[in-house]
Amino acid sequence: MNAFNIEPSRELRDTCAIVGTATSRLGKVPGTSSLDLMVEAIRNALDDAGLKASDVDGVLCRGPDDSYSHHQLVAERLGVNARFSTTLTNGGASQIMSVALAVMAIRFGMANTIVCGFARDTWSRTHANEEVRVRNETRPEAMLAREFGPEYGYYGATAAHAFGATRHMHLYGTTRDHFGEIAVAFREHALRNPDAQMKKPLTIEDYHAGRLIVAPFGIYDCSLRSDAAGAVIVTSAARAKDLRQPPVLIKGFGTHNNTRGWFADDNMVVTAAKQAGEAAYRMAGLGPQDIDTAQIYDCFTYMVLTQLEDYGFCKKGEGGPFVASGALRLGGALPCNTSGGQLSESHCEGMLQIVEGVRQMRHIYPEHRQVRDAEVALISGHGGNQVCHSTLILGRA
Amino acid sequence: MSQTPAKPKPRPAPESLPYWQAAKEHRLALPRCEDCEKFWHPPSRTCPHCLSANFTFRDVSGRGKVFSFVTFHRVYRPAFAEEVPYVVALVELEEGPRLLTNILGVSHEEVRCEMPVEVVFDDYDEDISIPKFRPVGR
Repeated sequence: MNAFNIEPSRELRDTCAIVGTATSRLGKVPGTSSLDLMVEAIRNALDDAGLKASDVDGVLCRGPDDSYSHHQLVAERLGVNARFSTTLTNGGASQIMSVALAVMAIRFGMANTIVCGFARDTWSRTHANEEVRVRNETRPEAMLAREFGPEYGYYGATAAHAFGATRHMHLYGTTRDHFGEIAVAFREHALRNPDAQMKKPLTIEDYHAGRLIVAPFGIYDCSLRSDAAGAVIVTSAARAKDLRQPPVLIKGFGTHNNTRGWFADDNMVVTAAKQAGEAAYRMAGLGPQDIDTAQIYDCFTYMVLTQLEDYGFCKKGEGGPFVASGALRLGGALPCNTSGGQLSESHCEGMLQIVEGVRQMRHIYPEHRQVRDAEVALISGHGGNQVCHSTLILGRA
Repeated sequence: MSQTPAKPKPRPAPESLPYWQAAKEHRLALPRCEDCEKFWHPPSRTCPHCLSANFTFRDVSGRGKVFSFVTFHRVYRPAFAEEVPYVVALVELEEGPRLLTNILGVSHEEVRCEMPVEVVFDDYDEDISIPKFRPVGR
């Protein structure tokens, strides 16, 4: 409830639809920039929708964190003066927030057709050559945090998330076998996806043989460094009926931010997915039992496990046995990250999760990739300093 | 001959100077609110519990428990090449706040959540001492 004593989100259920979606080339795309990739994905998404750039009057795009006002640069390349345009900065939670913001903007007449997208060129920035790698490792101290981290040898997102994994293992008896099943399941899905960055099978033995990065995480617990972009085009459900693709309805969304901090309270084992999910379920009038496929923000294996609990697919603490049951596999109880996810398809800060959710709702895939009879998809976005979360629920019209 | 570069030296923010001044004297001191009487960390100039700006740095017990921890195997900075594998832990003090730190005097394989620990000071140079922790009784 809010100051108007209404719950506005319910009024927005099914008012807007995703009418086009696409990615850029994924994985290792040397010789491009994040902007190139963003425009490539948007052009493909417009083609998919049967729309032209001149039909777009809203741009909610984001790029690498050091790319200022990314949306302006994207709109310039699209040749568009946008009525509604901005970049959100909630890390991996931003992309679903963009879709939510698009729905609100369309509902209140601020734009008609909004493109939401994210692009990055992380593989090219970190792996293109040895010089780039060394520059990252020897970044001047003045660019590090001033205190309370670097002096202890504490660096990076892997360690931050690994703290949650350790705590979860301590509280609930979760094991690296459980994390490994997530990596193995998503790799198996990636092998069915010709666009996926990872092409080699992964066994649980391979997982355990992988070198440790920041324990309890090894190399296969960590998402990929990718050059990748994805885009979706949002418009009103009424207008969507006249377009080329079967519209995919935006049924619910929610956000929550545990901004007291990842290290505060129990936030590293009970994420903001809990409240974001509850809000999205309320808006959609649905619950976890109604979800046919989940596309979960998988920056690290453990984050999938805890979000599955926080979304109510199993009880808190039972994520390990839940994934061990094979639930996440195509054909399982809750097929999850069916294109391979950020662990094996490409890491695009949650944007590819949205793309895959839309595609699953359109039933475009051959049988071995399609979640059979899927009517509702739940998608999650997680980021910022591990505390920002957003949830999107999509459904077939 | 290759030389390991120095580890990063803390560069105190203005609001955390009293923390580092106390650490130099081998005392662990945190901001404590004079109104709601709670401690917090990292230092800032308003109490995150009640937004009061009325606070003083007070010594704390230096005792706590490991809330969670991770073990670095990858070398992120050449300065830590000789240290891996090393533990970075989040220690919850008896007074409530949680501090990132290293655990000394114990193998990384023996560190556990809830392990009781106490503060020790690692002298970086004559200006800076870094609070670290070790298992109680080691």
